[in-house]
Amino acid sequence: MDNKPIINRSIVFREEFDEWAILFYPDMGTSFGLNPVSVFIWKHLDGEHTVNDILIKLRKQCEDTPDDAINHIEGFVGKLIDHGFAGYEHHA
Amino acid sequence: MPDKPVRVTKTPKSLELAITNRCNLRCTYCSHFSSEGDTGEDLPLERWLSFFEELNQCAVMDVSIQGGEPFIRQDLTEIIDGIVKNRMRFSILTNGTLITDEMASFIKSTGRCDQIQVSIDGSTSEIHDTCRGKGNFLKSVDGLEILRKNGIPVTVRVTIHRHNVFDLENIAKFLLEDLNLPGFSTNSASYIGLCRQYAKEIQLTHEERYFAMTTLLKLSRKYNGRITGDAGPLSEVSMWMEMEAARKKRMKNLSGRGCLKGCRGVFNKIGVRSDGQMVPCIQMPHIALGQINHERLITVWQQHPALNELRRRMSISLDTFDFCKNCPYIAYCTGNCPALAYTITGMENHPSPDACLRKYLEEGGKLPDDGV
Repeated sequence: MDNKPIINRSIVFREEFDEWAILFYPDMGTSFGLNPVSVFIWKHLDGEHTVNDILIKLRKQCEDTPDDAINHIEGFVGKLIDHGFAGYEHHA
Repeated sequence: MPDKPVRVTKTPKSLELAITNRCNLRCTYCSHFSSEGDTGEDLPLERWLSFFEELNQCAVMDVSIQGGEPFIRQDLTEIIDGIVKNRMRFSILTNGTLITDEMASFIKSTGRCDQIQVSIDGSTSEIHDTCRGKGNFLKSVDGLEILRKNGIPVTVRVTIHRHNVFDLENIAKFLLEDLNLPGFSTNSASYIGLCRQYAKEIQLTHEERYFAMTTLLKLSRKYNGRITGDAGPLSEVSMWMEMEAARKKRMKNLSGRGCLKGCRGVFNKIGVRSDGQMVPCIQMPHIALGQINHERLITVWQQHPALNELRRRMSISLDTFDFCKNCPYIAYCTGNCPALAYTITGMENHPSPDACLRKYLEEGGKLPDDGV
C-alpha cells in the first residue's frame, strides 16, 4: 500500500472525446481505452501518490465513489503494471 | 456554408509523410508528378526531426512514410530513428526496388514497423514493367523477399490498369500461391497526378472495369477474402451492388449515405508534403494548411478553416448537386473520394464522377450478377 506507482514514460497518452483517453504502447503496438475515472488515476501515477492517496483524491473529485473503490483502483493499477504501462521506481 | 463547430479529436492520430518528392521510377499512373505536391528540394532531416518532437507532444501514434520513393533518401535510417525516439510506430509505401538487406535488418531492429507495402502490378516482368519500367518487376519482388526474410510484415498493392486487368488471375496465383503472401490489396489507376496525362492508355474502360469487378469478386471468394480493395473495382463493386440491391428493394436509405461521406480521413489524420506543407491528405496536395515547424500542428488541426470545411463536407446532401439530380441512388451513395472529385471537377465538395454508379450504367457499364 505504500508503493507509489509511476507511469512508463514511453507510453503515449492520447486524450479523446468526453474525457476518455487511449494508452498506446508503441513497442508492442497495443492500446487501451480509458474511461474518465481511469484517466484520473493515470494522471496521478506520478511516483508521488500511493493507491490510497489516489483514492482520497478520487473521493474528493467524485461523489458516490463505491465503498470497494480501492479494490478497483488496485486492480486497474495492477493491470497497467502487468502490461508494462506502469511500474515502481527503484531507489538505490 | 454555416460556420458550424466540428467535433474533432485534440490532435491527429496518424500522419502521412511524403518525405521525398524524388523517385527512381516514373510509373505512368503515379498519383504524384504533375500535381501541386511537386515541390523542389526535399525537406532536410533536421526539419523532420524537429517536427517529430511536436508529433510526440501531440500524442500521434503512427506515421505512414511515403514519397516519391522513401528508400531513395540516404538519411532514411535517421528519419526512422526520429520516429522511434518520439514514441511512434510507422509503415512505409514503396516500389520495392531500392530495398537492401542492411536497411531491412535496420527496420526490423526498431520493432516499430507495422508494415511495408510494396507495389507489384503483374505476374511477370512483361506486365509489371509496362507501366513501371524495364527490369523493375524482378527488383520489386527481390525487395519484397528481402523484407520477408528479415521478418518484416509486408503487404502488396496491385494497381489495376488496362495493361494488367487480364492478368488478375495470374497475379493472384503468383502472390497468394507462389509467394504465399497472406493477402494483397487492390486499387486502380485513378485520374490523379501523372495518370491524367495517360488516362486513355491506362485507365480502365467500362468493359474492362466490369471484367475487373467480376474477376476480383470470383478471386476474392476463391482465396477466402485474402484480396481486398480500399479503392478501385473490388471496392466499387461491393458498394455498387449494395446500392443496386437497396434500390431494387426500394429501401428509404442506407445508413451513413446520402451525403458526401466518402472519406473520414480528415477526422483521424493529416498529411505533410515533401516541402513541409501540411495538407489534408497526400492526395490533396493543393490545399496547403501551413508549414511544419512554423505553424503548430495542433492549431492547424483544430482551427484551419479549410480542414474544418472538409470535415463539414460530410453534412452536404447529395441532392443539392445538379450532378445528382433525379439519381435513383442518392440515398445509398457517399459521393466517394474528395481528391478524385477535385481532379475531375475542380471541387472537393462535389461527388466524384468517377465513382458514380448512375453515370457508369448510363454509359454502358454493367454490374456483375449476384451469383458471380
